[in-house]
Amino acid sequence: MDEDKKISRKQNIGYCIVALLLFAVLLFPLYWIFVTSLKTEQEIFQIPPTFWPHILNDASYKAQLQSGDFNMFRSFANSLIIAISSMLIAIVLAVPASYGIAKYNFKGKKAIILGFLVTQMLPVSVLLTPLFIMFKNMHLYNTFWSTILADATIGIPFSVLILKNYFASIPRELEEAAYIDGCNRFTAFIRVLIPIAKQGVIVCGIFSFLYAWGDLAYGMTFIIDQEKRPITAGIFNFMGQYGTKWSYLTAFAVVTIIPVALIFIFMQKYIISGMTSGAVKG
Amino acid sequence: MGKMKKFFQYDNIGYLFVLPAFAYMLFFVGYPIVSNIILSFQDVTLKTLKADTKAFVGFQNYIELFQQDHVLMTSLWNTLFFTVACLLFQFVIGFALAVFFNKNFKIAKPIRGLLMMPWMIPITVTALIFKFMFGTDVGIINYFLQGLGLISNNIDWLTNPKTAMIAVVIANIWIGIPFNMILISTGLTTIPKELYESASIDGANKFHLFTKITLPLLKPTIESVLILGFIYTFKVYDLIYVMTSGGPVNSTQVLSTYSYKLSFELFKYSKGAAVANILFVILFIISLIYLKYVYSEEEA
Repeated sequence: MDEDKKISRKQNIGYCIVALLLFAVLLFPLYWIFVTSLKTEQEIFQIPPTFWPHILNDASYKAQLQSGDFNMFRSFANSLIIAISSMLIAIVLAVPASYGIAKYNFKGKKAIILGFLVTQMLPVSVLLTPLFIMFKNMHLYNTFWSTILADATIGIPFSVLILKNYFASIPRELEEAAYIDGCNRFTAFIRVLIPIAKQGVIVCGIFSFLYAWGDLAYGMTFIIDQEKRPITAGIFNFMGQYGTKWSYLTAFAVVTIIPVALIFIFMQKYIISGMTSGAVKG
Repeated sequence: MGKMKKFFQYDNIGYLFVLPAFAYMLFFVGYPIVSNIILSFQDVTLKTLKADTKAFVGFQNYIELFQQDHVLMTSLWNTLFFTVACLLFQFVIGFALAVFFNKNFKIAKPIRGLLMMPWMIPITVTALIFKFMFGTDVGIINYFLQGLGLISNNIDWLTNPKTAMIAVVIANIWIGIPFNMILISTGLTTIPKELYESASIDGANKFHLFTKITLPLLKPTIESVLILGFIYTFKVYDLIYVMTSGGPVNSTQVLSTYSYKLSFELFKYSKGAAVANILFVILFIISLIYLKYVYSEEEA
């Protein structure tokens, strides 16, 4: 609204103070679990609570690398395998599909777009039971594959819908120039169009990864062995068993946030573009 | 003739590109939707899961759910309450933040960016954070409320049927605020600044500027934020499952958690499927309204 309007120095300081206050209040929960993860169990239950750790305790982090119930390192690796694989499936399938939708006018195209739109709005509960039965029959139950395949169903429609806008915005002339240079439709797609739509591909990769990284329902339902489960299911399991071990629980939470935070710090512009284009254009 | 043939060939290639993704979705989403519908008309439990022929029972599961199962109505009502309460607060707060961070001060953009964090975090982690903060004795929320003199005894937020819903709503509002904020922020940047300038010259005050320019011009954004918010919130699952598992005494039971409970804790797969379908039908209708709206916008 006031984007270009000059504001006085005094106003600037006032706004900055309010902004910092809002920041502190809204992100307090994140600060709070971080400091809690560095406290001793005794200090966590202390009243009044301490707002930073008086005794620095890194045992909750170290325990994650050791074997036993508190080992989350393995779950973390499981989550990485699941999220990266499901991201790759989503990208490999969604990139050509979105290109096909953006550049060719075939029959039934509108219906296909509509199908992708509707699957994006699907509640997980609808797929849970039938996929559970299906994976049992396919002998994929209790393997990484079950969760990888299921997680990709979230990434694919999102990626197709985002990427089709990227491909649609590439001028036809670029493609034609590639044909003159001796490319056919497939090599032109791979050598010329995908590199141009790289930004969009990154956005889709990030979101497909994040969807799979954050999934609990599929990982918890389709994988039963604790050693194969993703970290979200590991945390849930741990909460059930050691519900008041908050030093460990908050440390798990912090570790789970790390990849998200890294993506967030280095790729913020992609996230905002993904959120806005994905949501508004559906 | 040759030209036409060439044109046809050209567009047919599109199918080749779309086919793999389409086949994948058909197999892992389309087919399960259909089999979930069939499942809800059968009577499949743990015993009959591996049977070759499954008894067809028609609408019996649905009839039983609506007539005999008071938990279904509770879940339906809770889902609706949860959705409306969350939407209301996250929209108002998100809107206010969007307007505030749209002002041209130094740290506006980086801070607004950082406020997106809650939306990115795995919901299981968010649920854990709020379960910790809403803890009766260990929780910081009770400590703050006592410090402010608002309560004299600690509230047992998550174990009390009267307060559990409030706690999960607050946690979900925290997740939803960034989503509302960023979409409304984007909407705000599309309003031409000249409109405000000329209206100010004509003597309009801030309130008028907001109600006469901002709100009407943001109408499309607001509508899509609310409808999408409704869809995302209505299918809430992880957050409630981790924080309360639908309890205590079903006070936070929503359709998705109830469906999960029926299928994977009580092993009444058909009943669970029926509840999931009820959720699906409601969301499907809302989605259609949204899609119709999006398409009419695009054509306009």
